[in-house]
Amino acid sequence: MTAIDVTPKGAAAPEHIPYEPPRQIRWTSTGLLLAFLAVFPLLFPNPAVTSIAVITMIFLVAAIGWNIFSGYSGYISIGHAAYYGIGQYTVALLALHAKVPAGWDTFGLLPVAGLVSAVAAVPIGFVVLRVRRHTFIILTVAVMFILQLLAFNLVSWTNGSGGLEMSFPTWQGSYFNEPFYYVGLVAAIVACAASWWVRRSKYGLGLLSIRDDEDRARGLGINATRTKLIAYAISAFFVGVAGGLYAPFIGSVYPQFGFDPTFDLAIAVLVFVGGIGTLSGPVIGALLLIPLQQYFYLQFGNANLYLIAYGVLFILILRLLPAGIAPSVTQLWRRALIARRRAAARSPAVPALAGQSPAGQSPAGQSPAAQSPAGGLPGAPPATAAVPHAGGDEVAR
Amino acid sequence: MLVLQAIIDGILVGGFYALMAGGLTLVFGVMEIVNFAQGIMVVLGAYLSYALFSHLSIDPFLSLVITMPGMFLIGVAVYWSMIKPIKQDRVIMSLLVMFAVGTIAEGILDLVFTSNLVQISTPYVNNSFTIGSLIFPDIYVYAFLMSVVLLAGVYYLLYRTRFGRSLRASMQNPTAARLVGINTDWVSAYTLGIGVAMAAAGGMVFGLTNSFDAASSYDLISRLLAIVIFGGFGSLSGALIASVLMLVIQDVVAVVWSPTWGQTTFYVILILILLVRPQGLLGRKAVRAQ
Amino acid sequence: MLALAAAACGSSPSSSGTSHGPITIGVSVSLSGDFSGDGLATKQGYETWAAYQNAHGGILGRKIQIDFLSDGSSPTQVVTNYQKLITVNHVNFVMGPYSTLLTKPSSVIANRYGYVMIEGIGGGPSVFQQGLHNVFDVSASAKYQLITFAKWLVATHKPEDVAYASMTDPFLQPMLDGARAYLSAHGFTSVVYKLYPLETTDYTPIASAIAASKAPVVVLGTMPPDGYAFIQDFIQDKYNPKVLIEASGPDQGTAFVKAVGANNTGGIMVPNTWYPGSTFYQNSAMVALYLKMFGGTANDISADVAEAFSAGQVLTQAVDHLKSTSNSALEHYLHSNVTFQTVQGPVKFLPDGENEAATPFVFQWQKGTLVDVLPAGAGHPVPILAVKPVWGAGG
Repeated sequence: MTAIDVTPKGAAAPEHIPYEPPRQIRWTSTGLLLAFLAVFPLLFPNPAVTSIAVITMIFLVAAIGWNIFSGYSGYISIGHAAYYGIGQYTVALLALHAKVPAGWDTFGLLPVAGLVSAVAAVPIGFVVLRVRRHTFIILTVAVMFILQLLAFNLVSWTNGSGGLEMSFPTWQGSYFNEPFYYVGLVAAIVACAASWWVRRSKYGLGLLSIRDDEDRARGLGINATRTKLIAYAISAFFVGVAGGLYAPFIGSVYPQFGFDPTFDLAIAVLVFVGGIGTLSGPVIGALLLIPLQQYFYLQFGNANLYLIAYGVLFILILRLLPAGIAPSVTQLWRRALIARRRAAARSPAVPALAGQSPAGQSPAGQSPAAQSPAGGLPGAPPATAAVPHAGGDEVAR
Repeated sequence: MLVLQAIIDGILVGGFYALMAGGLTLVFGVMEIVNFAQGIMVVLGAYLSYALFSHLSIDPFLSLVITMPGMFLIGVAVYWSMIKPIKQDRVIMSLLVMFAVGTIAEGILDLVFTSNLVQISTPYVNNSFTIGSLIFPDIYVYAFLMSVVLLAGVYYLLYRTRFGRSLRASMQNPTAARLVGINTDWVSAYTLGIGVAMAAAGGMVFGLTNSFDAASSYDLISRLLAIVIFGGFGSLSGALIASVLMLVIQDVVAVVWSPTWGQTTFYVILILILLVRPQGLLGRKAVRAQ
Repeated sequence: MLALAAAACGSSPSSSGTSHGPITIGVSVSLSGDFSGDGLATKQGYETWAAYQNAHGGILGRKIQIDFLSDGSSPTQVVTNYQKLITVNHVNFVMGPYSTLLTKPSSVIANRYGYVMIEGIGGGPSVFQQGLHNVFDVSASAKYQLITFAKWLVATHKPEDVAYASMTDPFLQPMLDGARAYLSAHGFTSVVYKLYPLETTDYTPIASAIAASKAPVVVLGTMPPDGYAFIQDFIQDKYNPKVLIEASGPDQGTAFVKAVGANNTGGIMVPNTWYPGSTFYQNSAMVALYLKMFGGTANDISADVAEAFSAGQVLTQAVDHLKSTSNSALEHYLHSNVTFQTVQGPVKFLPDGENEAATPFVFQWQKGTLVDVLPAGAGHPVPILAVKPVWGAGG
């Protein structure tokens, strides 16, 4: 969430409006969210709820991972289920052949699942990253289907359509889901940290420049192939971990559910809804949509109505928040801030208000507002005009 | 002989896949829109012909006179209500919007027709004739001929009419097309209409030769996308060649090796082709950077 | 997420657990996705059973109420669904979903909460290999489905060439392999053995390969869509095998007749656990009630309906005997070698939950109806057509 501020510093912009909420608000909300997620199973111990929470965590890890590549590089992959499946088969095969006992020991296999996925991503990425845009999208789908077909056909490894079975832990139903939930939460935090690092690092800047204009990035001396490939592998790692968590939770691995095309779409959809290419987008998308989706299923016994409701909701979100929730909220926050300052600037009686507002705590925002001429009729309209509307997106496209 | 038979089967079936994929590739060529709902549109076309046949006893081939204009209007309506309002990121956003439209359509079709598999079963569906020891099922031959006629019609529309010129102009340079007074919105709307109407025709044949329900759309769309990529986005003749190749490869592999490897082989060949020609067999060379 | 969680908790019915309210039964059914057609039939089967039983005093004098949740053919959703049914709805019993793929994870969930899972449509080997003691399949399991047919073939035919093809499916493939192993051990030659993925839409090359082998016996592990397609292809290829049996498709009643043509059905066989005209326990009542509730003709009724209904019948008989809604008592009782009566015939459970009393039947299309032909004798009056009439020769 780098505060890249591109507001023109000319005479037309007497105010400095930061592009995102100030640091305190961000840290506080992150802390509150973490605290809430940490105690969630204690607040809602019902297994039906914690089961949804586990699925949410699995999708959260996968979504953050997907976004590290697709969000930051602009290459939309609809084939990351390839790594979801590889993660599942890795854990199931290792548990089977290395005789890893069911339970906590299985979770030790998660990093292995991630690593195997990341290693597999290197040759695959080398092939698919040669093409761009739509061709890339479809190629990723094709690779995913090839792996699914291999899982069906390499019977001696995968047992084909019969699938692989995992023995399940003997934990009781009342707390069975909690270990999966907390392991998922830890994985999600690690994924978030990785996403944050990529976003902040010089490496990440290279990735973002590829998204903005790949040819120019190459011209600037960025090794685009290597940069994309690294992000692709990191992203595959986390999707593999998500798969590695899913397999023991469900207790079986099947080709069509490991290499699942609907998983790909689900991930893309929730990152888009949350805000693609942002740090918080996948988190918001997963935490909102997965429970909502599962809840819809539970409420509408009728699957047709579920499909219709989900489709309509999706269109509404796309129509109303085209950039996704996270950027749109930031934009709303900016608009509110501007409106408030304008109001403060118009009424000389309450100039102090601006300083008291939470946004006013931002030192950068405080002084220009105080310095703006009281009752400054000429100052107000240009201030709004200077703020680019699409600029609320924290992505700084 | 078995291989020759497989090649003939592949060519015949490939014909109507070209029809369905042609609609997809045409829409992409004009608007850069990946119509993710094309699969469910095919199923909708199949259901419409099915309903007309089972309730009004209208022959499925004849029913196209009703379903194709109907689906054309659906395409136009979808353009104005769904695609036109998209302001930014059209390529990705339209893909997502069409995915959502497909989801809604699937729900509605499921509601109306239930999820029981159905098939349009006309008396002539089991007939066939033989040449030497090669077998030609009537239905596939009819479907192939119809596909050729319709594809030729679209080809004529594109290259011999005023509308076709506007359409190709919009394809090559939308801004310039607008400058010379072409209403690119209407061109786009008509194009989506034509694409969806082609799905109606393809769907009718699909319904004659397969049992289907709303969920059949998922298999369809992944095949159609693979065909369109293989042939090159925006290329009608590319879609035709790719459809036939896909079916021939699958059928021949199924005969000489195993059906389970048919699809894998096709995908592997697809990837190999794209490594050499990223724009597909007949795609336009200038794939813009990002 | 908070609001949703609260809402999920709040939807818990207060009537659960009391001994005067209805007996609640939880089932997850696939109303969308790959299994949607069969999922709907499964749901109708359970509904028919509940309606029938409620008209006849319910269970222990209490009404039966079934809570259905939809799973979209997804194991993720099925796991959530059964946890919700058990821990939020507090249903008294759960019964199985459609397919081996979904029954497996579901039975693990049921086991975790000490629930018995009686099911009729999850007979793949993987369900019974889990070492669970709470799964009970009232139908014939996969590997025995074709055994009656295989024994008849060996007893009445000299060893011949056999062509096999099957969808790669955890139920169908074991079924085909079971028959193939038995036939090969008795001197029948396997001339074609093709497996094809679920996604296959063009069956012509597989059909052509079988036709080219001129094998007199064809054994197919099919679902309805490919079951229809193979027959159409054989007709188009003018290939007339003497014996043709399909795992599924010919059992679909009117849908099958429409798809392949009324003149082409004669002699085609299908293994089955049930048929509309069966004289087994409560079958005529079930058929009558189903037609009243859902319309159509008796031939339209899918075997899924009977399989779900049978699961309900076993539950009814066991609970009425026990006079208790305790799942642990139920599990113990089902394991005690008792024989139950269902529309599919007698049911008696092996320790792994398979039905050892199941006699997989073979049905054959003769003169436009599907009749039971095997095993011969034992109340099956219709003699089998040992050689299938040529295509177009009539029903």
